[in-house]
Amino acid sequence: MHNVVTKSRDVTLLEVLDRVLDKGVVISGDAVISVADVDLIYLGLKVLLSSVETMEQSRGAPITGPMQEPT
Amino acid sequence: MTENRLVYLYCVTNEEPNLTETEDLVDDLCFFYHRGLYAVTSKVKESKFGEEGLKKNMADIEWVKANASTHEKIIEQVMANADVIPFKFGTLFNTDDSLRAMLEEYSEEFKTILRKLENKQEWGVKIYGDTDKLKESVINNESEILKIEGEIKSSPPGKAFFLEKKKTELLAQEVNRKINEYSQESFHLLEELSFEACINKLLPKEVTEREDNMVLNSAFLVGKNEVGDFINMVDTLKMHYENKEFFIDCTGPWPPYNFCGLLKQRVRNA
Repeated sequence: MHNVVTKSRDVTLLEVLDRVLDKGVVISGDAVISVADVDLIYLGLKVLLSSVETMEQSRGAPITGPMQEPT
Repeated sequence: MTENRLVYLYCVTNEEPNLTETEDLVDDLCFFYHRGLYAVTSKVKESKFGEEGLKKNMADIEWVKANASTHEKIIEQVMANADVIPFKFGTLFNTDDSLRAMLEEYSEEFKTILRKLENKQEWGVKIYGDTDKLKESVINNESEILKIEGEIKSSPPGKAFFLEKKKTELLAQEVNRKINEYSQESFHLLEELSFEACINKLLPKEVTEREDNMVLNSAFLVGKNEVGDFINMVDTLKMHYENKEFFIDCTGPWPPYNFCGLLKQRVRNA
């Protein structure tokens, strides 16, 4: 493995949240619960807004994954 | 009676994962084998990760921080020895059978994605720009703005008012132009050294907790052999920007969160 730069330990939590809450494969299908559409929006008291929903229980339901977003 | 447990999915890989170092992070961490693929999972309490529990917990930032970090650490551990398809935080199945059904349905596609990811890493590049300092440097370096400033001083109040307005507009335009120029230039130079690249949503100051503004949030899928060149390019850009009020933050290697989109989704969006 080419380890020119190893991940520094002080990678901010923001970097982690920006990925794990927003990206990664999202599967929907039979009896799957998933965290949907988490916006990294903080209110005054740093409350993370989010929504959680049960995916539709149908085969071949919409699948969303990482995609290019407009800036 | 013991509480019902759900199956939490972290990632899928095609090599048997070594989970010895992550066992302490969560209970019942294990992998689940199906058709040449290994799904790394753990059993979680329904009270915490079921629909109701998750809704409540997602509003608790400390809970989210702790659990999102665990999610990331487990995937990173697997990634140390294998290519991985990372799943989004909070991907849960009611039973092993529902997980197995999902693996059955997507096994070929996961294998295709894993082949694509072979010997590659995700790197993240965020660029921040200090808009106030950029304005200052524009004021002092743009002849047109300097000219207007001179005119404002020698103009009667009415005319000066309109000139001042024009100056503000020009200034904003010029700052935007600089931000676009630098962020696009950086993105394209790094894109050339990558297999794939993507641009993500900019995060507001309330989230970044920085004084300057995020002007580019991007991710790159880089060949392991090209990582050295990629980092050199980042360093070159850093030096280039040093006195231009831009700051580049490069992190990696990350699990390829941004580069494992499913084909079905792409077709759907086409």
